[in-house]
Amino acid sequence: MVSCACPEFGGVRDAERNRWVSKMRGAILRCLLSVLSLLVCAVGMELRAEERVRFGREVLPILSARCFACHGPDEAQRQAGLRLDLEQDAKSPHAGGIPILAGDVAGSTLWQRINSSDPELVMPPPEAHGELKPEQRDVLRRWIEEGAVWGRHWSFEPLERPQVETDSAKAIDQLIQEALRQRGLSLRPQAGPYELVRRVYLDTIGLPPTPERADAFARQPDEAAWEQLIDELLARPEFGEHWARMWMDLARYADTKGYEKDLGRTMWPWRDWLIRAINADMPLEQMTREMLAGDLLPGATEDQKLATAFHRNTMSNDEGGTDDEEFRGIAVKDRVDTTLQVWMGLTVGCAKCHTHKYDPLTHADYYGLYAIFNQTQDADRYDDSPLLEVLNPELSEQRERCRQRIRDVQVRLARAEQADAAREDALWSVPEVTDSVSQQGATLTRQSDGTVLVSGTSPAEDVYTLNLRVTGRVTALRLQALVPESGGDVGVGRNPRDPNFVLSELELEVVEGERVRRLTIGSARADYAQDNWPVAAAFDGQLKTGWAVSPKQREPHSAVFVLSEPVDVSEAGVLRIVMRQHYGDSLTFRHFRWSITGRDASETQPLEPSAETRELRESLAEARRELEAVNARIPRTPVMVAVGEGQRRETRIHRRGNFLDPGDVVPAALPSAFSGGWIEKLSGREPDRLDLANWLMSPDNTLTGRVWANRIWARIHGQGIVETEEDFGALGALPANAPLLDWLACEYRDNGWSLKRFLKTIFLSDAYRQGSELTPELLSADAGNVLTSRGARYRLSGETIRDQMLAVSGLLSEKRGGPSVMPPQPDGLWRSTYNGQKWTNAEGEDRYRRAVYTYLKRTTPYPSLTTFDGGSGEVCQIRRIRTNTPLQALVTLNDPVSLEAAGALARRMTESPGQAVERGLRLALIRPARDEEVERLQALQQTIQQSLTEGPAARQIVRTARVEVPSGMSEAEFAGWIVVAGTILNLDEMLTRH
Amino acid sequence: MSSRENIRGLLCRREMLRALGGGAGTLGMLSALAPELRAGTSSHFPGRAKRVIHLFMNGGPFQGDFFDPKPALRTFAGQRPPEADLRTERRTGGLLPSPFRFRPCGESGVPVSELLPLTSACIDDICVLRSTWTDNPNHGPALLLMNNGTILPTRPSMGSWLSYGLGSENENLPGYVVLCPGKPVRFSILWTSAFLPGSHQGTYINHADPVPDKLIPFLKNAAADRRTQEEQVRLISRLNEYQLERTGPDNQLEGRLRAMETAFRMQFTATEAFDLNQETKETRALYGEGHFANGCLLARRLSERGVRFVQVYYGDGQPWDTHSDHNSAAVALSRNIDRPIAALLQDLKQRGLLDETLILWGGEFGRTPTSENGSGRDHNHYGFTTWMAGGGVRGGQTYGETDEFGFRAVQDRVHVHDLHATMLHLLGLNHEQLTYRYAGRDFRLTDVAGRVIREVVQG
Repeated sequence: MVSCACPEFGGVRDAERNRWVSKMRGAILRCLLSVLSLLVCAVGMELRAEERVRFGREVLPILSARCFACHGPDEAQRQAGLRLDLEQDAKSPHAGGIPILAGDVAGSTLWQRINSSDPELVMPPPEAHGELKPEQRDVLRRWIEEGAVWGRHWSFEPLERPQVETDSAKAIDQLIQEALRQRGLSLRPQAGPYELVRRVYLDTIGLPPTPERADAFARQPDEAAWEQLIDELLARPEFGEHWARMWMDLARYADTKGYEKDLGRTMWPWRDWLIRAINADMPLEQMTREMLAGDLLPGATEDQKLATAFHRNTMSNDEGGTDDEEFRGIAVKDRVDTTLQVWMGLTVGCAKCHTHKYDPLTHADYYGLYAIFNQTQDADRYDDSPLLEVLNPELSEQRERCRQRIRDVQVRLARAEQADAAREDALWSVPEVTDSVSQQGATLTRQSDGTVLVSGTSPAEDVYTLNLRVTGRVTALRLQALVPESGGDVGVGRNPRDPNFVLSELELEVVEGERVRRLTIGSARADYAQDNWPVAAAFDGQLKTGWAVSPKQREPHSAVFVLSEPVDVSEAGVLRIVMRQHYGDSLTFRHFRWSITGRDASETQPLEPSAETRELRESLAEARRELEAVNARIPRTPVMVAVGEGQRRETRIHRRGNFLDPGDVVPAALPSAFSGGWIEKLSGREPDRLDLANWLMSPDNTLTGRVWANRIWARIHGQGIVETEEDFGALGALPANAPLLDWLACEYRDNGWSLKRFLKTIFLSDAYRQGSELTPELLSADAGNVLTSRGARYRLSGETIRDQMLAVSGLLSEKRGGPSVMPPQPDGLWRSTYNGQKWTNAEGEDRYRRAVYTYLKRTTPYPSLTTFDGGSGEVCQIRRIRTNTPLQALVTLNDPVSLEAAGALARRMTESPGQAVERGLRLALIRPARDEEVERLQALQQTIQQSLTEGPAARQIVRTARVEVPSGMSEAEFAGWIVVAGTILNLDEMLTRH
Repeated sequence: MSSRENIRGLLCRREMLRALGGGAGTLGMLSALAPELRAGTSSHFPGRAKRVIHLFMNGGPFQGDFFDPKPALRTFAGQRPPEADLRTERRTGGLLPSPFRFRPCGESGVPVSELLPLTSACIDDICVLRSTWTDNPNHGPALLLMNNGTILPTRPSMGSWLSYGLGSENENLPGYVVLCPGKPVRFSILWTSAFLPGSHQGTYINHADPVPDKLIPFLKNAAADRRTQEEQVRLISRLNEYQLERTGPDNQLEGRLRAMETAFRMQFTATEAFDLNQETKETRALYGEGHFANGCLLARRLSERGVRFVQVYYGDGQPWDTHSDHNSAAVALSRNIDRPIAALLQDLKQRGLLDETLILWGGEFGRTPTSENGSGRDHNHYGFTTWMAGGGVRGGQTYGETDEFGFRAVQDRVHVHDLHATMLHLLGLNHEQLTYRYAGRDFRLTDVAGRVIREVVQG
């Protein structure tokens, strides 16, 4: 069951009403806030008071917050059959009036109803507590007076490039200046060169510069140097590692499957693909196609198939007794939700159960999208199939090498075994088989090499009788059961599923004319016998027992039967052999040969295989083990694979989101309100994932460009132009600077969706390079910096905080890609109910990898990252809400990573004797140290050194930091430096991007 | 930084101020409220309780042993009435009477069994909910429903909701602490903040070895002693203040400055809060010995220091899961809880804290009145007992009934959602308004259900 706490969902009437009222309250507060901010704008825009009311930005927010819940798209909640979300309905006669009569305020029933003093008539109804504010009434009044020109919600309007004098980064400045001017502000002066270098480093690669690189820029901080710096950073391999994190949040990346068992899953090859794609500046358009539908591209490469793992990051439930189909459905829904969130900034979760209340997305639209994603082979299976083998050149080569070695050894072994066999064969002679009969009518064919091949009918049991032309002394007989040299599935027996034999009883007679002598077997030996089926059982007089060779029934075997007494066969005699095979199930010989010897038993002892054979057998086993080991190392990543024709699933609406309550059949379709010309484009064909990807990135989609431009902007400036990055719909925030957003969206699209070019444009703007100092005036006019009235200042992400600490202390590993690693975390956090998975603190290089490579277990994410608002990867995370809590300070103060970074930084500091503090501050903060800081930090070192002279306390500090005391320095002195280093690493300036 | 998270039902003051323009005049207030998303939003209406102690009998106790006498079990012992045909985890046999005697206790005369001689003396403070029921007979889902209000393991726990709804009373300690001498089934999912901000997650503390230093990860700096750290943190704060002077009025920086100091203090205040040696001999004796006694005493110490939600898990794994030898296990388990619970109630009362501290007792479900393998009892989610005390609860009463044998709640049934709704109500929170927008919709602790049991609440 999908449960839902939307106020509109089910339940008792009264409760529903209460919830509705509470929701309305929320909506009203929201609206109040927007109106207040509009008012603020209005004050600034007095000069332009003549401007006409804009439907999308001013009227629609009021209508959608106050009216659409009962008079909007949701047919289930619609009151009085009235829709105000459609122009035609709103302007047509209804219940004896016309809600909106263009140009005639007094004649519009909407105006009458919102102004009514009759509690029975006034809208919104009093219990909704949604009375319109005078400013809102005024907007509606003016709009109706001006002719009630209709439009769409702002983000659904076509995207057009605002007219700006220049097309360069200066356009950004112009558009920001414009908005600032209206509030009596202007762009702030440029930040200092050190601040700028650090800022652009952190924004581009998520790591700080070296002091030397910063100095180089600071010596000549001109345009050319700035541009060169940007180009240099965009080309660094760390660029992809940094920007991949954004995508991983969106893709709900994790290294486990989620839910109760939360077992491991090999997703890191996709993460590495992502980093490669970003570093190669793969256009967003192409990334979109490959991630959503790489497998559907003509001639899809392995990499394109791997890209589709994007949507295999959905969770799967391995808990016993869960319905795989239920959780497959949940994964498909997650793909719909995530796709619309990531590319269109629309929250569609509610349309699982009912038509969206505020945005034009119906219940059927939702399942139309569901139908597109409903056609892949994955089905919440335990093995997560279908999987893609992700071979790198090294593994490929290793695997090929192992296979080649096996082939080589096999050839040599065959030769050695032949030589052994020849030596053995010299002791035996193969007599002619003169007669051979199958009791049950199988065909026994005597071959020229003395073997007998059995074919034809394959009875359950059989008795073969053979006559061998033998003369002279016989001491022993040898039976060889053969398999074809080509190997394969054929074995020694005739049953193809179980090619074993059971020799129940063997009888030997010498027939000389009328005289028949029964021979007794004294002993026997076989190269192999199945448990409980020894070769001796073949002459114990019992038909229920016998000799058999499973599980080695696909290898050749032989047995030697030694007669109790040698026998002499006269020239006229024959040796008759009766092979009784009564197990059933056709466990009978397929191909065999009898040979005899007259030598004494001592001479017919089996020969040991030659030393060469033994060696080769060993190497073969070893080579096979190696191959297995290589195979085990080949990552297998879940990917999207379309179901075959004829296996397409039928999609039905899930009534109220319940997969057990299917409604009407829905064809795959793009959402009707956004499909533009695509219905014609598809000409009756149901769209697949590739069509979806193409549609998302097409100019017909008014949202994708805006959503993506906003997202990138927010990652740099700390918040989006549309603050609700996750909601561009009717209930989302309005853009703080709409022309800027549209310009950026057009720029990103028109530059070929190149992230690198887009970032460079932003970095080249003056707005980006503003100083970040705050003044009370700035706070008052633009508290949240939504207008970019200054350089952005915000707390870095948990990942960047970790990476930066490691980088400035010199610990950071440059190892890139590969399986996720487990840096230290507090003991005992991990506990999986059903499996032995363990968190083993990494040693060596893996202890200090970038945070993007840290193993993410969905039910127990890495604590120091979640403390800084990192997610668990369970669902798509559009943005992280930044919190500031004491627990974060506990991490930077006490986490082993912090303590070890302090130790390493102290080492680097003490390499500059007399300049240790300056060096430490430069490494960490980049800018030149200030005197008062240096003095205080030096004083701290002194204090600590003196207080720690006793020893054990100092040793504890050094040992915990896992670092060696520099030669010639006392433990106490060095401990003092470690404390100083720790102090520097905990400075707010360090944790902040500014 | 969005208005979305708090806007529904609870409007954060900070958001309001920001929306109003955050002018120079309001700056001081902004700073005072600086830590972002310190949910310190107020309650929806005045509530009697300010905090909760949840005594959690993980594994599931049998309702018929304590507060819900079922004499019919004796009359029909060994028989299998039609009521027994409920789908539980395993097959059960005939009716197994509880051998423990009941007597009316306190002024109210509510019957309590001889297993709880000391707790029964506090019955006039206790409101017994005999008709509690839940959705699933397996530990995992039932634990999740009781703790997170849903059987899906991706939702915030009730403690996180509470912390989010009411904020912290003590900046030096986490708002939500989980005490367990080991790890219950499902472990940290039971106190996850899920999509709520991370600061609301339960701080899990294994109190098997109740030495403060061993209790909280990252709390202690493994390297430096207190004096060294004090010097360090003092200088960090000093240098951050310089920075603040240079950057201008940055309320985030101010917030982080405070967080750093709190974290530092927490290293020592938390140590103090968790130090049982600070209790008098008399108090230690009142609570008795053992994990659960220590847990209850720690809960009181944390509670009186303003921790909003303290959970005391009875033990590692699922000790109350008595599939065999039920009676002897019940005797031993009861002996371990009786004194500590009575002590906690008396101690809180004596300190004047009981009125504002809500005690919630129970397991994730109950057990069958029929036997499993002769001497055991299987899980029973159709009807079982929980109780509440203090925090504005009307004590000395029972609410709801199970059937004649105690299989199923039949009268005034209390679903777990109702229990949660009532708990939130006692804390001054409307469970329908305590919402959080995530993944495109609003979430609540009580999903789309929940009814406040008015009869439980003092008039």
